[in-house]
Amino acid sequence: MTVALRRRMFQYGVVVPFAIVLAFPFAWMAVTSLKPEGQVYEQSKTWTFSPTLENYGYLLHHTGYMRWIRNSCLVGLAVVLITLAIALPAGYALARLAGRVGRSLGVGIFLTYLVPPTLLFLPLSRVVSELHLGDRLWSLILVYPSFTVPFAIWLLMGFFKSIPQELEDAALIDGCSRLGALVRIVFPISAPGILTVVIFTFSLVVNEFVYAITFITSSANRTLTVGVPTDLIRGDLYNWPGIMAAILIPSIPMALVYNAFLNRFITGFTGGAFR
Amino acid sequence: MTDTRDEPAPALLSRREFLKKAGAGAAALGVAGATAPFSFAGPLRYKGRWLSGSLTALTWVHFVPSYDQWLDPWAKAWGEKNDVQVTIEHINNALLDTRAAAEVAAQSGHDLFFNLHPMAVYEDQVINHSSIIKEVEAKVGKYLPIAQQSTYNPRTKKYFAVSDSYVPDPVVWRHDLWNAVGESPATWDHVKAAAPKLKAMGHPIGIGQSQEIDSNMALIAFMMCFGSFIQNENNKPTLLTKNTIDAVKFMAEIARTGETNDIFSWNGNAAANNNYLYAGTASLIFNAISATRTPESGAAGGQYADDLWIWPIPAGPHGRIGLEHLMGCWSIWKFAKNRPAAERFLADLCIAGKDATIQSQLYNFPTFANAMPFKEIRKVAAADKHKPLGKYTILTTIAEKYTHNIGYPGTTNAAIDEIFQKYLIPQMFAQVSQGKLSAEDSVRHTNTAIKDIYAKWRKRNMLA
Amino acid sequence: MLAALLISPAVLFIGLLVGAPLVLAVYLSFTDATAGSLTGPWIGFENFRHELRDPIFVDAIWHTFLFTAISQAVVIVCAGLLAHALVHAFPGRWILRFFILLPWAAPIALTAIGFLWFYDTQASIFTWFLVKLHLVSATNHPTWLGTPTAAMSSIITVQAWRTIPFATVIFLAGIASIPQEVDDAAAIDGATGLRKFWHVSLPLQLPIALVAILFGIVFTATDMVVPYILTAGGPFNSTQVLTTWAFQTGINSGNVGEGAAIALFMLPLLAFVTIAMLFFARRAEVT
Repeated sequence: MTVALRRRMFQYGVVVPFAIVLAFPFAWMAVTSLKPEGQVYEQSKTWTFSPTLENYGYLLHHTGYMRWIRNSCLVGLAVVLITLAIALPAGYALARLAGRVGRSLGVGIFLTYLVPPTLLFLPLSRVVSELHLGDRLWSLILVYPSFTVPFAIWLLMGFFKSIPQELEDAALIDGCSRLGALVRIVFPISAPGILTVVIFTFSLVVNEFVYAITFITSSANRTLTVGVPTDLIRGDLYNWPGIMAAILIPSIPMALVYNAFLNRFITGFTGGAFR
Repeated sequence: MTDTRDEPAPALLSRREFLKKAGAGAAALGVAGATAPFSFAGPLRYKGRWLSGSLTALTWVHFVPSYDQWLDPWAKAWGEKNDVQVTIEHINNALLDTRAAAEVAAQSGHDLFFNLHPMAVYEDQVINHSSIIKEVEAKVGKYLPIAQQSTYNPRTKKYFAVSDSYVPDPVVWRHDLWNAVGESPATWDHVKAAAPKLKAMGHPIGIGQSQEIDSNMALIAFMMCFGSFIQNENNKPTLLTKNTIDAVKFMAEIARTGETNDIFSWNGNAAANNNYLYAGTASLIFNAISATRTPESGAAGGQYADDLWIWPIPAGPHGRIGLEHLMGCWSIWKFAKNRPAAERFLADLCIAGKDATIQSQLYNFPTFANAMPFKEIRKVAAADKHKPLGKYTILTTIAEKYTHNIGYPGTTNAAIDEIFQKYLIPQMFAQVSQGKLSAEDSVRHTNTAIKDIYAKWRKRNMLA
Repeated sequence: MLAALLISPAVLFIGLLVGAPLVLAVYLSFTDATAGSLTGPWIGFENFRHELRDPIFVDAIWHTFLFTAISQAVVIVCAGLLAHALVHAFPGRWILRFFILLPWAAPIALTAIGFLWFYDTQASIFTWFLVKLHLVSATNHPTWLGTPTAAMSSIITVQAWRTIPFATVIFLAGIASIPQEVDDAAAIDGATGLRKFWHVSLPLQLPIALVAILFGIVFTATDMVVPYILTAGGPFNSTQVLTTWAFQTGINSGNVGEGAAIALFMLPLLAFVTIAMLFFARRAEVT
């Protein structure tokens, strides 16, 4: 057996089973989402059933689903912008801060991750109400950067460190200002790192749950993670096909984006988190 | 159509006030248009009413959808009548506790807060509701003992909530299946005898031992039928008795012979036992009548609807003592922005108890004696067309005779609330049913934990 | 000077939105605050002492350890394997990678609800499969969330499932960071397969593996969404972890001070682990 064949066998032998196991829940979600609500409990109709799109129709026409998605996207975009605005300069400065100070600040920023979010929503709900943001999407936009910014700084810091100082110095000699060097030389090289931050931030925001359920009560401002358990668990009935459809719809495009940018991610990480 | 009771003459209003009110009304209209489906802007009635501004209330998504379809327009009409912009928001019942904590921490939120259990631990954060209760009593009769026991703290002499409704908790059982084994759930001995046969048919009993509200209710009620009480009438803990140990052993026997491990897996999901029934598996569950209404509506397949019977809790050695299934409790925060409107709204909602009962399809029972007397409820129940005919008439008997508050024979207090919220009773049962501890040890451990909780709340002066 | 200017917004922001609430939480853990309140009488270490006497809490520490350690051990092994298999191109890699990334892309708060359905007592697809394969009978099948062992295994599975893609990506980055020359040099020296992996690849990837482990530990030990939605700590508190117990104590049953004490209990330990791992990661990289 040749080395190449052995490698191929190893690749398929590992990747195919994992892909099946990891994606199976989504396959079953897809199947369930196509069943009439009354048939989901029937084992005899596991695979043989008359598929219907009524659950998707229900989601789009009888719930605020599109609105939840819109709200989640709005919050996600706003948080991405805020995160970049805060983390880019901070990450750069920390990267160029030589020695102990930079290093301990870096570790300090990572440590904010250890603060259990379980109870933080209590004091934060006070902050939100003092600022009169209760039940507004702005409350989430304000609070979410508290967990996206540390991550972003940490990643970008490592990334900027991997950019040779000489590149910047050259730009400075060419007559660029420090800021100009930053914008024209450093940021473009950092594109993979920035991209990684953008996608991570966005997905962290879409994932968030506890703040969203505590700060938002009106149906108009619900985000995806709040809307689904609130409106698709109707009384004592779980609308399982509807819930499955609701999970699938955002997951697939997100996974496509992840996959498309995976190589950039990898560059982002190699340059970033580990320096 | 104008209702002119207790309105001062329009002339009393100066021109300036008129303009001010008109402006506010217009602004309110704008806001309402911009926001939510449940908002309402009061029309410009400028009649010198004493209520004004806006009122916000948070409540659950009712298990019987027709109730919400009644409440929202009712609130809207109430707002129209009182020049108040009312906003009612509905969230999943499992999120109510979290939201309550957040509102208190923020010292702002909704004026009116609804929960499915008396929020005794929040006593310091809410107003004393006694005047509201007095006023409603004057109109629609006495506040029922179950509501009194659920919302009053005898130690501080304070009503920490107003209960507008409670929900009886019958056993819901499949007559066809029980008939097939020649039994009926009249007593707990019957249940124990029938359970193995039903399980053998593939239809086990479905009394939960999980960390969720329905298991809590069913098990505490079950204990009481065996003469086992968490506390006495003076709110002193009394768990460690032979009766408790016997009850735990008895239920463990039912679980082992007549139930499956499914009953331990419904944690955090109070609708799971309903679905156990809807899927055609369970032969008996403890639940409110949403468990029969949902199949009737056809929403859950519905093929068993006609075979679902409701009965009072089976009798035990100590008789038949049941619990409410849910206690609808409204509280007004001390930090409520519009306390006058909140008080008025709450009083009027209680006075409208009859509509609420009918619109919830007899799910809610009013807590004021004459809002809709049992006799009337019975009449409506008798007219219900679902099979077997007259099945719902038993509800009034259940409500009158076998429905008590959590913590009976004492009051529902902070210690009871904590025991309830930490699911210590389901834990006490489940670890014996799964053979992890002996009944004696389990009860002893639980008793230690419970005594600790009582001591804590006593130290905090919320318990005698 | 410029550096300070650039960092200050971040420091200010983190200080206000993480630091201040954290300080408040620490304060609360020393008070007898109840029911959503953010103040209360000072009672020193009483909350901590009280919790250490509570068997549910002591068990929760153990469950947190189990939940974190086992799920992350599974993740490291699986992600390491997957990354090595995925690093070189092969036909079909794109679509297979898409499948592998799915659990990471989906919002976990929702997929956890999805798993509630997959573990359903009536209609669990896993049960249906096992029944079809005649591995279990239709009447006597496992209840995925109904016994302590099954429930713990179930939440560990979901936690591992959701973390594997992320860890795989980190490992891929780790492999990519090994300079090609090292790889070639190893090949010339005749190192292949396991030997190469053990002597060349593994040491070089150690720092990156440490980072993956670190993220896994931190996210698993501080996040409650999977156990909260799937088991709520049950059956009989056998899957209660510190985060869910802090929530149940501090929020649902109104003991804010105690809840804060539970939530903060792990902080010193996690901080120690983190600093140690970051330190080793750097050391390993330097050598």
